[in-house]
Amino acid sequence: MVYVVTDACVDVQDRSCVEECPVDCIYEGDRMMYIHPDECVDCGRCEPACPVMSIFHEEDLPAEATRFAEINAEFFADLGSPGGARKVGRTGSDHPAAVPPGGGS
Amino acid sequence: MTVHDVDLVIVGAGPSGLYGAYCAGFRGMSVAVIDSLPEPGGQISALYPEKDIFDVAGFPAVKGQRLVDELVAQAAQADPLLLLGESACELLHDEEGVEVVTDVGTRVRAKAMLLTGGIGTFTPRELPVGEEYLGRGLRYFVRRLDEVAGHDVVVVGGGDSAVDWALALEPLARSVTLVHRRPLFRAHERSVATLHASSVRVLTPYEVAEIGGDPLVGEVVVEKVKEGDRVTLPAQTVVAALGFIADLGPVQKWGLELRKRHVLVDRSMRTNLPRVFAAGDISDYDGKVRLISVGFGEAAAAVNNLAPLVNPALGTTPGHSSDAA
Repeated sequence: MVYVVTDACVDVQDRSCVEECPVDCIYEGDRMMYIHPDECVDCGRCEPACPVMSIFHEEDLPAEATRFAEINAEFFADLGSPGGARKVGRTGSDHPAAVPPGGGS
Repeated sequence: MTVHDVDLVIVGAGPSGLYGAYCAGFRGMSVAVIDSLPEPGGQISALYPEKDIFDVAGFPAVKGQRLVDELVAQAAQADPLLLLGESACELLHDEEGVEVVTDVGTRVRAKAMLLTGGIGTFTPRELPVGEEYLGRGLRYFVRRLDEVAGHDVVVVGGGDSAVDWALALEPLARSVTLVHRRPLFRAHERSVATLHASSVRVLTPYEVAEIGGDPLVGEVVVEKVKEGDRVTLPAQTVVAALGFIADLGPVQKWGLELRKRHVLVDRSMRTNLPRVFAAGDISDYDGKVRLISVGFGEAAAAVNNLAPLVNPALGTTPGHSSDAA
């Protein structure tokens, strides 16, 4: 069970969650952040840190955002499990689903 | 160099390790517990001491720190040797036992080891700039507040620890400035209210752009996020309170069979290395559930399964603690 970043993060990328994460598992895409499902230890510190409430526990995802559990996981298809976002820095890329809520670009 | 000889060495003083120490004491073993943090309690103390925990058996709700205090009291029955603020770096083993060497050179010889290292060693998150001033004015902790008496202090961060450091240092520093890259703090409302009522200068949303001074910190240049306005603050001390990151660290080099940064164990909590057992969040097997309550059960299972290695006269059955009073 892990936490998931949803599209409310798109173009916000406040990164307060990154400061809270004790295992450095929140990675920076070009437009949104992504939580690594294998590295997350389910501590829950990121969720209240998010100023736009974009982070949810996998099981508490709102109906319209359930697909983001997979989206977060799929973002790491190429990156694998680097074991720390600091070493990776800004990835400069995104999952195609990283568009603001309600569509648009 | 200090050398200690015990029956069981436990690496990790979180809930599983502390409970393991109690269990070992109940079986008559002598115990040493090593932890990199200066306080026992592991993730509970480091991450959520003030939160209520609702899923520890027998406690409808218990504050993190209270649970740790009770576990420490329970473990004290084993009269454990506590080596806090030391990280287990090396693991050596031979026919008769294991030996753990810490980062400060303490050696602990034991007949068995219980690894309860949770998510690893907590290390402070680095400041993105000025890291070369570490030890020359840049620090992550202030062990004794009077070390910075009379200094101009810049505290960086937006969580409870940043706000708490700023408030604790205010009465004895010459000046305290708190720098955070967002307008809002993630600290308790009450501490933030105290902060705004105090003489601490609050600069938000600002980030540290540069640290200057030779050889010691002399000034900190901060820059307003997005706008770029710069402010130069005289400073002899910078406290970076940006949180902690845990990392398995040296454990990964001990030859343990790992699966996704966890240590594989069998049903008796035995790892692939002789005399080395693992319990709690660090251990892994199919069907693993990472909860404190599960860690307790695993610690008890590990200690009683390793008992015959410590003393061949001991079986794996501990007997009932209620009969032992």
